[in-house]
Amino acid sequence: MKCKRAETFLSRSLDGLLAGEEKTALEKHLEGCSSCKKKRDEYVFIAETLGKKDFPEINPYFWERLQPRLKERKKYTFWSEWKQWSLRAVQFSIIAVFALALGLALFLPQPTDALSQTGDLLLGNNPPLPETVTLLDAETGENKSMQLIFMAMEEKPDLRRYFP
Amino acid sequence: MEENQLVERSKQGDEEAFGVLVKKYKTKVFNLAYSFTRDRETADDLAQEVFIKVYYALENFKFKSGFGTWLYRIAVNHINDHLRKHAKERHVSLDALGREPSQQENEIQKKEKVQQTADRKKLLYQALRSLPEKHQVILSLRDIQGHSYEEIAGILKLSAGTVDSRLHRARKMLRKKIAPFLSLEGENHEM
Repeated sequence: MKCKRAETFLSRSLDGLLAGEEKTALEKHLEGCSSCKKKRDEYVFIAETLGKKDFPEINPYFWERLQPRLKERKKYTFWSEWKQWSLRAVQFSIIAVFALALGLALFLPQPTDALSQTGDLLLGNNPPLPETVTLLDAETGENKSMQLIFMAMEEKPDLRRYFP
Repeated sequence: MEENQLVERSKQGDEEAFGVLVKKYKTKVFNLAYSFTRDRETADDLAQEVFIKVYYALENFKFKSGFGTWLYRIAVNHINDHLRKHAKERHVSLDALGREPSQQENEIQKKEKVQQTADRKKLLYQALRSLPEKHQVILSLRDIQGHSYEEIAGILKLSAGTVDSRLHRARKMLRKKIAPFLSLEGENHEM
């Protein structure tokens, strides 16, 4: 048996948990190991010293002294709970007000400003130069003949008749 | 009246029933607190605070464990909180203990001193208080209070295996801390 194992057994032997083969093995190890013998003495000293019931007498009138403290605590508990509740309520209200203000600031629709001239041109459905409309709309005979000339010029060459 | 009946009545605000429970458990709670603090007044005050806590936590007690186990759990947690708050004060004694006697002081003088039982005992408790909380708790419950593994498992909500390993580790740590100060040659101990 190794010393490490023997030490575990020594601790268990203090609780009377060692029996049979384990106990014999420990006794055998202790016979030949002075270091573990010393450890055993130290363990026994610890167990004996701690196990001595040298507790002083409890102070008299324990219950009589406790009773008023229970009542005091009861009173204290009521007020402290009320205080705690009201403090929490105040904290909650402050947070709620802030959250509401933030929400309003972020999500309320903003009033739209009048569009600038560029914005009006881009976003508004208005022709850029209103005066051109009148020119284009006026379908005079002159305009029509001009349109025919332009169309003839755009005619594709391969569609023309072939003349050898 | 049975304990569960007393608990039920206490839950309904019957102070007299709670008084019976206090009388039954006050010494155990006081002893537990004393094993950690080694101070009578602090232990008394802690015991009172534990019962106040218990009284106002009774409505949460669902009879899933024994009342004693539940009470002990509250006591251990409350005492732990106290120790945590006063950790600085505990560190003073810890530092003194952590110093090897041979380094700074006359070793022989020191050994002669610690050989006296009272000093050894004092040193042992100082060493115990310098351990991590969970190890202090388990040593206190097992080696000082004498609770069984099953009871400790119930109080600390641990498995029996964890109780066993933690207890062994705690004892080992305590032994290592105290070993340089002990001279046990010639003392025979029955196992």
